[in-house]
Amino acid sequence: MTSEATATRTVTLEVFRYHPERDDAPSFQSYEVPYREEWVVLDALNWLKDEVDGTLSYRWSCRMGVCGSCGMMVNGRPRLTCNAFLREFMPGPIRVEPLRGFPVERDMVTVLDDFMGKLTDVKPWMIREQEQPVEEGEYRQTPSQLADFKQFSMCINCMLCYAACPVYEHEDEFIGPAALALAQRYNLDSRDQGNAQRQELIWSDEGIWDCTFVGECSAVCPKHVDPAGAIQQAKVEATNSFFLSFLPFTPPGMGR
Amino acid sequence: MPGPLPRQKSNTWWNQRWAYRIVLLRELSSVAVAAYVVLLLLLLVSQVREGEGAFASHVDVLTSPLLWIVHLVILAFAQLHSSTWFALTPKALPLKLGGRRVPDALITAGAYGAWLAVSAVVLVIVLVVA
Amino acid sequence: MRPSNEPFFWAMFSAGGMVTALLLPVLVVITGFLVPAGVVEFAQLESLFDFWPVRLVVFGVVFLALFHAAHRIRHTLKDLGLRSVATPLAVVCYLGAIAGSVWAATVLV
Repeated sequence: MTSEATATRTVTLEVFRYHPERDDAPSFQSYEVPYREEWVVLDALNWLKDEVDGTLSYRWSCRMGVCGSCGMMVNGRPRLTCNAFLREFMPGPIRVEPLRGFPVERDMVTVLDDFMGKLTDVKPWMIREQEQPVEEGEYRQTPSQLADFKQFSMCINCMLCYAACPVYEHEDEFIGPAALALAQRYNLDSRDQGNAQRQELIWSDEGIWDCTFVGECSAVCPKHVDPAGAIQQAKVEATNSFFLSFLPFTPPGMGR
Repeated sequence: MPGPLPRQKSNTWWNQRWAYRIVLLRELSSVAVAAYVVLLLLLLVSQVREGEGAFASHVDVLTSPLLWIVHLVILAFAQLHSSTWFALTPKALPLKLGGRRVPDALITAGAYGAWLAVSAVVLVIVLVVA
Repeated sequence: MRPSNEPFFWAMFSAGGMVTALLLPVLVVITGFLVPAGVVEFAQLESLFDFWPVRLVVFGVVFLALFHAAHRIRHTLKDLGLRSVATPLAVVCYLGAIAGSVWAATVLV
C-alpha cells in the first residue's frame, strides 16, 4: 500500500531549456515527476527523457559517482545528479540548470573546451627527466610519500569546483581549482620530476594567485579532493621559493 | 546557425548562497582590522604619548555608547577573522608527524591554544606588570 | 609569462593575518572596554609605552595588520567587480597601508 502511495506522489522539476536552433534565450520548463525515495535527480531526468520529452539533453554515464559527467546545478548548488537524492529537496520544486560559468551547448550540456585546455596546460601526468629502464623495477614510494598527494589524486574532472568558484566565473584566464589541484598532485608525487615545467604557469597570476580562498570548490567536491587546500599549499611553496631566491646560496633540500 | 549560450557572469554572486555571504563577511573583517588599528589603537597610543590631559579627554569620548557599540562590532569582526583564520590554517599548512597527516582539527585546536596563551600574556603585561 | 610579484604581498597578508588573529580580540577588549571602564589607567599605559620594545611591537602589529587588510580589501573589491581596474586598485590599497604605517611610525618614535 505504501509503495503505491509513494508512486503516485510527484515532485516538480524546473528544468533549464535552451536549444540554440530553436530558442533565442534560455527558459525554464516545469515537469511533474514521480517521487520515489530511492530516486536521484538523474533518475528523474532519465524518466522525463524516456516518458515525456525526448529532446531533453544532458550528459551522464556511470550513475555511481565515478565518471564525473552528470554534474549540474541543483537548486543553485553544483551537484553530481547521480548522488543528489530527490528526498533531499522535498517537497520541491527542484531547479535543474547547467553547471555555472560554462557556455551552454544545449539544455544541461555545457562546452568543456576551456577546462580541457587548462587541464592539459598544467601537464597532469608523470614527468621524468630520464625514464628508468624496466629491468630496474618500479618507482617505489613509501606510505608517507603517498599520503602527500593521495587526496588530490581522487579528482574525476566533474567540474563542480569550477561551477562553485566565483573567481573562475569572472576571470576567463584563471586556471581554476581542479587543474591546479591536479598540478599539485603531480608536483607532490615523489616519482615525478616535472615541477619546473609546471611552475611558470602554476605560479603565475592566472594560476594560484587569482584564488582568493573562497573555499567552495572543496565544499562541493564529491571526492573530497580539497582543491582550495592544494592551491594554498602551492602558494606557501611559491612564497618560500620567492624569498629563498634572494639568498646568495641554495639552502639544503631546496635544489628542485 | 546560432552557437552556444556564452558563459554568464553575475555581479551578485556573493549574495546567491549563504556560503558566499559568509566568505564576504570574512573578507570584510579586514576593513574592521584596518579601521581598528588606525582609528582606535593608534589614536589611543598617540593620546597616551601626548600626556594625561589628552588621554583623559580621549577616555571621555571612549565611554560614549556609540563607541561602545563600535567596539562591539569590531570585536565581532576580529573574532570572525580569528575563527576563520584558524579554521583555514591546516589547509595551507598541513603537518605530518611520523609519516601521517595531523588531523586538521588538531592544528586548529593548536592555533586556538596559541590564541589563548597570547591573549593571557597580553592581559598579564597590561594589568599586572605595567 | 611574467613571474608574479604576488608572493611578497601574500607573505605580508599571511603574516598580518596570523598576528591579527592572535592579538586583535584581546587588544580590542583592552582598548575598547577595559580602558574606558577605568580598569587600565593612564599610569599603566604610560609606563608601558615608555618601554621602547613595546612601541616596536605595536608598530609591527599595525604595519602587518594594515598590509593584511590592504591585500584582502584589494582582492575582495576585485572579486566584487573591480577586475578591470585591478592595477590602480592595488596601488591605492598598498599606498593606504604605507600611509598608515608612516603615521604609526611618527606616533611611536
